[in-house]
Amino acid sequence: METSYETIVIGGGVVGNGIAFHLSERYKEGVLVLDKKYPMSGTSGSTQAWVWVHNKTPSWYAEFNMYSAELYPYLSKKIGDVEYKRTGGLSPFFNESDREKAKQLAESYRKIGIKIKVLSREKVLEKEPFMNPEVAGATYSSIDGNVNPFRLIDMYMRASKKNGVHYSTYNKVTEIQKQDGKYIVVSDQATYVCKNLILAGGTWSRELGEMLGIKIPVNQLRGQILVSEPLKPFLNFTISGLRQANNGEVLMGYSMEQAGFNRATTLDVIQETANMAVRYVPALGKAKIVRAFSGIRAMPEDGFPILGKVPGFENLYVAATHSGVTLSPLIGTLITELILDGETSIPIDRYSLSRFG
Amino acid sequence: METDVLIIGGGPAGLAAAIETATRGLDVTIVDESSSLGGQLCQQTQLIRPLPSVYQPMRGFELAKVLTEQINDFTVGTLLNHRVIGLYADGSVGLSDEEKVFPVKAKKIVVATGAAEQAVAFPKWTLPGIITIGAAQTLVNRDFVMPGKEAVIVGSSDFALDVASQLLEVGVEVKGIVEKNPAAAAREKEKTDALIGRGIPFYFNSFIKEARGNGQVEEIDIEVNGEILTVSADVVCIDGGRSPILDSFYQLGCSFGYQKELGGWIPQYNRQFKTDRENVFLAGNAAGISQQGALLLTGMIAGISICEDLQTIRSGEAEEIRDALWEELKLSEYKDVWEGRTKHIEKFSSPVLKDQFIS
Repeated sequence: METSYETIVIGGGVVGNGIAFHLSERYKEGVLVLDKKYPMSGTSGSTQAWVWVHNKTPSWYAEFNMYSAELYPYLSKKIGDVEYKRTGGLSPFFNESDREKAKQLAESYRKIGIKIKVLSREKVLEKEPFMNPEVAGATYSSIDGNVNPFRLIDMYMRASKKNGVHYSTYNKVTEIQKQDGKYIVVSDQATYVCKNLILAGGTWSRELGEMLGIKIPVNQLRGQILVSEPLKPFLNFTISGLRQANNGEVLMGYSMEQAGFNRATTLDVIQETANMAVRYVPALGKAKIVRAFSGIRAMPEDGFPILGKVPGFENLYVAATHSGVTLSPLIGTLITELILDGETSIPIDRYSLSRFG
Repeated sequence: METDVLIIGGGPAGLAAAIETATRGLDVTIVDESSSLGGQLCQQTQLIRPLPSVYQPMRGFELAKVLTEQINDFTVGTLLNHRVIGLYADGSVGLSDEEKVFPVKAKKIVVATGAAEQAVAFPKWTLPGIITIGAAQTLVNRDFVMPGKEAVIVGSSDFALDVASQLLEVGVEVKGIVEKNPAAAAREKEKTDALIGRGIPFYFNSFIKEARGNGQVEEIDIEVNGEILTVSADVVCIDGGRSPILDSFYQLGCSFGYQKELGGWIPQYNRQFKTDRENVFLAGNAAGISQQGALLLTGMIAGISICEDLQTIRSGEAEEIRDALWEELKLSEYKDVWEGRTKHIEKFSSPVLKDQFIS
């Protein structure tokens, strides 16, 4: 069994896979992805998988998300159909007093080139006839959409393997050492050695960092999602909190809780979520809920991605973020550039781990 | 809503647990998704034996009646047409009647959700007329509907042969019994002999190759020792065995182990029929597939253990009763099932599957 690699990516989620695939486009051998379970068993498999730009703040972070959303059509061409749909995104508001805030958001986005429209009540109902008629208006952006996260990761893995990337699953990393300019990665199944090490552990980033004495301030945030029975296609857009999947199921989720790594669902939140969904789209009151699941999201302490070189550690990189689905193609591209070219095509200094001191 | 004991599932095991707890002064609530108590007993016309010593042998539906009558004199609330759909953050169980959802706070919970039939797939097995053996029995005995005129039965367990006899009694022609093994699976040989005596063909070392029909099953191909036998049939009853229904345990966060003799994956539990989740007990087929008499005993043991925990019975007395019930359980179930259960209980503190909701 091969245990010596040029680059090891710890974490086979949507972020780790994005990096592995983009690396494999430029060099064909010597990449290993390690996953403690199996890709899609964690955060990346328990998400609504929006590719979402609008109403992320401040505007420079929205811009970063937009670049990634713009990469999706190209990504599909490279790795195959991932059911990416640029549906456009609607964020409704129910009080006229929110219109001013919406206009300010639109203005701040306009300056960086993201077009957001502030829609009247009539316009919202024309676009999305099943929206609650009590809606006051909505912000709308055409760049938003969604993707099938299972297809996304599966296609990433197929393309990466074709390009020579190795995967080792159900193989938890237990120890990392730095030795003679290399990294020794001890896992359940083997001990590996590599030159470049990328920490893409998502919700487990903090624990991974501690193995090297580094603080990666990522916390866990639980989101509970409800799934309806398959319904005829009736929602046109990705709406704040809900979307209709290709098979007709409507996914609904609004909650954010601190529950550590506990992925249980609770009826308290399930009922709240159902009420919210019905408030947005009253017709959902008639739909049957067939399933509920929780996802544990990675949330850096200040909410923004932690990307790039780890200060003080040569050839050590970190990629830990919320919104991994949206940002995956961009992060994959940038980390690849950083490793192979030593610099990135768009600046990522602002996302450095060093900001936490 | 609050209750001392919430029993999920009003079948024989749930009712047995209800009797033990209610007669010792506890406030008991039974929830069941169907419209009557008794579970699968309600459509069972075959004689049930052995039964625990407190009962005479009787038919299934009669037993359902006897058990239900015993709780009538006590404080037992029954929530029929209700199902458990989840848990609240404070541990309350969420029930739904399809209209509203409400919490029930219970000191102790007994999960007695029973077992589900498993199907055996073959080409065109989704054609109408191809049903499980239990569905055939329900149609005949509960709904008084003939499932068809010409039946083929796939599988030869005791239960499958009971239902074969019941089909014959109501005038369904049983065209054959298909068994993949070289001999009948039924443990009571007289059941096989009785059917052979009535001229019902048994096809051993055989399986269904394919079903055919226009809009519903009309004929099936049975592969018998490498040769194809085509048989006309308008109903095919599949006996694929049963497996414990685990959803509630899963939601409650219980640990699981695999025990083939008990029906596959089942929750871990100890001699008190208590799971590794605090205040969660279990009984019946959900604790391992066994015979009706044994299922009642498991419910009784769970009930006694709850009474002990809630101090409506002295610990020493509970231990004595429990020991006696365990002795009886040993005599009431097949040896391999009993041995599987014993092995399973030994693994209580080292479960294979645990903390499934912890990422």
